[in-house]
Amino acid sequence: MKEVLAVVRMNKINETKKALSAAGIGSMNARECLGRGKGLVDFKMLAGAEKGYEEAIAQLGQSHRLVPKRMISIVMQDGLVDRAVEAIMQANRTGKAGDGKIFVLPVTEAYRVRTGEEGDSVLDVL
Amino acid sequence: MVMVRSIIRPEKVDAVLAALMDAGFPAVTKVTVVGRGKQRGIKIGEITYDEIPKEMLITVVPDRDKDLLVKTVMKVARTGEKGSFGDGKIFVSPVLEVYTVSSGVKETPETEAKAVAV
Repeated sequence: MKEVLAVVRMNKINETKKALSAAGIGSMNARECLGRGKGLVDFKMLAGAEKGYEEAIAQLGQSHRLVPKRMISIVMQDGLVDRAVEAIMQANRTGKAGDGKIFVLPVTEAYRVRTGEEGDSVLDVL
Repeated sequence: MVMVRSIIRPEKVDAVLAALMDAGFPAVTKVTVVGRGKQRGIKIGEITYDEIPKEMLITVVPDRDKDLLVKTVMKVARTGEKGSFGDGKIFVSPVLEVYTVSSGVKETPETEAKAVAV
């Protein structure tokens, strides 16, 4: 089994949720985080974005220009990884820097706390 | 590629981020966390604080850059000459695949190196 860890834009989280459900991946875990990328974003463009763009406002007061993002973590069976990556990419791509990154990490064991069972059966069915 | 998760003191975050930028690691994700360590929290009088605020910095780098990254964080996040309890931990775990959403490309250590040079 594998963990898909995706860092995406705050305002794309609902579309991402829908896309993942449509792809047959129901379970997910999301949280807020701050981050920066390779520095390819032109922050001067955001200086004029005080007109009400939440993302821009939030980062203006930040030292080091950390941008608010959402981090999604899903543990799934190996066979679902490609489908999940594709769904997240489709939902989040605007073509501009700052769309996010997707990391695929190995997971060796998974347990369900309620029943104590172990292995692939605790994850989404393929 | 490897994922380096550094759990550090909140007051050290600015210094570590600046040091990482200088060392050529601009891309970082920061998450606020609470936790306790081997010392079982901090005991002040009768009260034990076992949910100590920390910041987790998540960085994904090519394998060959791992040592430099770990060394940079280690040097800056340490308090005092020898360091002290609560300075944090650094975890390194493997990453199988990395994708950039905006371009849709699957990153390899080579493409990552090119991007940093820009």
